[in-house]
Amino acid sequence: MALLLDWIDEDCAVPPLQSAPVRAVLRPGELPPAVQAAIWRGDQLGTPTAEVVRTGFPNLDKELPGGGWPAHALTELLQPQPGVMEWRLLGPAIRHVVSQGKDVIVVSPPKHPHLPGLRQQGVDERHLVWVQADTPAERLWVTEQLVKANAAGLVIAWLPQARQEQIRRLQVCAHSCDSPVFLCRPAAVEHEPSAAPLRLQVRHAPDWELHVHLLKRKGGTHDELIKLPSVPGSLASLLTPRLMKPSTLLTARQKRTVDASLPHVLGRPSSRPPALRAPTP
Amino acid sequence: MFWAALLPAPQLSEPQRLEALRGFALWCLQFTPRTSLVDPATASAAVVMELEASARLFGGKRKLVERVKIEALELGVAQLGWAPTSLAAVAIARTGQSNGYAKPLEALLDALPIEVLAPVAAHAATLSRLGCQTLGQVRALPRGGLSRRFDKELLGALDQAYGSCPEGHVWVQLPDSFSAKLELMSRVELAPALLFGARRLLLQMCAWLSVRRAGVTAYTLKWCHDAMRAKTAGNGGELTVRTAAPSRNIEHLSRLLAEHLAKVGLLAPVGDLEIVADEVHPQQETSHSLLPDARKDGESLALVLERIAARLGPQRVLRPVVAEDHRPEWMCHWQPAPEPHPHPRQLARCVQHPQPTFVFPKPLRLASRENRPLYQGPLQLLAGPHRVEYGWWDRVGDRPGDPAGKDHPDAGSTRHVARDYWVALSEHAGVLWIFQTRLANEETGWFLHGIFA
Repeated sequence: MALLLDWIDEDCAVPPLQSAPVRAVLRPGELPPAVQAAIWRGDQLGTPTAEVVRTGFPNLDKELPGGGWPAHALTELLQPQPGVMEWRLLGPAIRHVVSQGKDVIVVSPPKHPHLPGLRQQGVDERHLVWVQADTPAERLWVTEQLVKANAAGLVIAWLPQARQEQIRRLQVCAHSCDSPVFLCRPAAVEHEPSAAPLRLQVRHAPDWELHVHLLKRKGGTHDELIKLPSVPGSLASLLTPRLMKPSTLLTARQKRTVDASLPHVLGRPSSRPPALRAPTP
Repeated sequence: MFWAALLPAPQLSEPQRLEALRGFALWCLQFTPRTSLVDPATASAAVVMELEASARLFGGKRKLVERVKIEALELGVAQLGWAPTSLAAVAIARTGQSNGYAKPLEALLDALPIEVLAPVAAHAATLSRLGCQTLGQVRALPRGGLSRRFDKELLGALDQAYGSCPEGHVWVQLPDSFSAKLELMSRVELAPALLFGARRLLLQMCAWLSVRRAGVTAYTLKWCHDAMRAKTAGNGGELTVRTAAPSRNIEHLSRLLAEHLAKVGLLAPVGDLEIVADEVHPQQETSHSLLPDARKDGESLALVLERIAARLGPQRVLRPVVAEDHRPEWMCHWQPAPEPHPHPRQLARCVQHPQPTFVFPKPLRLASRENRPLYQGPLQLLAGPHRVEYGWWDRVGDRPGDPAGKDHPDAGSTRHVARDYWVALSEHAGVLWIFQTRLANEETGWFLHGIFA
């Protein structure tokens, strides 16, 4: 009995010492930090416990849950045309993965990867594997094997014909995969539901920019366009200030062609080639 | 002492039984060197192994027993018995029971019929005339009379089974090379179905490898067609499976075999299988340390690429090798990923000027309007020209893999290129790499060669 009483005394004596300073700091309605971290509110960006790989674009990192490309999950990249800007968008993340000595695996890219160009982006030939899978079933099988094996540093798969339930299966497998997995799919599947927790629509814009629209992410929706400055690494040295704004060149040329087409409609085409004309301001 | 006895199926013929016993013994050796045969010449032969000393290495008795039970089932063991002495384990297994620890050993053995111990069963006729049906009744007879009337083996076997006198064994020796045969229970007509039988042999091979502390890099599965085959089918076939790194992981080896078997067509039904370990290399052991390393679950990249290459073909899982060349087509070639890299000491140099990240396998001829290239609309030229003129010495036919023969249309020509490369911008197709080159009849043409993706 004495022992029990001792124990009770001790218990009573200790808590006021601990809780007094904590209570003083907390305002009404506020939670201790440990509790706060474990609660996810619907209006917040989700903070996944899994690690992420930084995208290399600060204004994209800001909008992604966790601040980067998520591991343990699929990321869908929807684009109007495949093979236009994948390496530019994923380049910084790939550089990070390769610098850790892990391998990057591409599954059935739409064109042949060109290593001299990739090397200028920071991809080493010892860390790149290209799997040529032709049929949709083969592509899915290869992607699933790679995701299940959890051996690669980063997986990029082009799956134009994957169906909803197949993506779901891959997503379940990806839970145990420590590396980011990217699925490149056509923009037309934007309205199909998908199990991937992060979906982006990416467009190429003329002024060395990529326009990213977040279709789906953990947390609140995001409607604005995110503009990412992205000059292909190897071209940076070639670009003069005039070339940094190619859209002005394009509009100027469109004007010229409209001018040139007028006499053609009326009768005789202009004898001088348009290139020799004085440039319109 | 903790003995396990393994009985093969009773309906096997003499050579089949010997082969099965050999396989069991080989498999048992991975757990303990104390493996021995009991009554090898008779129809009720058995393999016994002593596991007391190995329990801790395999994670405790319970885990060890679970593993032995599961793998023995795959191996084709008909009955498994456990007891404190080897003869008792065999006797219990022969009566179809398994657990020799359920009751005290004497109570358990006393109830068994006399046929379960071979030296006792040799005198079955005399003993039954004496009214003895069970081991307990034989043991109840006066010892002096028993030793005078019957031979020394009977009393010795009884004493050894009951644990009152030590047992002597001739331990099984490990063979230097591995090959194992299996006669299939029924004829198999589809190659993937061979995997069931082959897995039984692989299990033995992995046990043999683990005793040798080695891994296999190549093994051959041979099969024999049965006697009712067509004349054109031949005697059988074989399939060699190779892995890049030495392995004795049964799951990996059997999955590789499954991928290879999926592509094999059998000419006739198969009756017999054989597996031979061709190339065996010592394998580094990982230590089971107290402090766990940063261990990754999942398998290594080499294993998974090997499996993908086994299904798709080695030419479709590729790693790049850079060649020192100025022409984009020959700057980089791709070789099968599992092959070792040819220049591990230093990387080849690359050109310094801008290169695209995707290239077309063959340059794509572009339409042009007023000497300006078109690709998904007009292209805006941004930078250039960059002249690449190179390769007059590179004849078609000199490289391995070229079309050979003098009658080929390209024979004798060279891979000389003279091109002006430009960086061009398309509104929809991104930043492109195009070139202009001279064609026949004083024409020039625009070609699309790459994308700065």
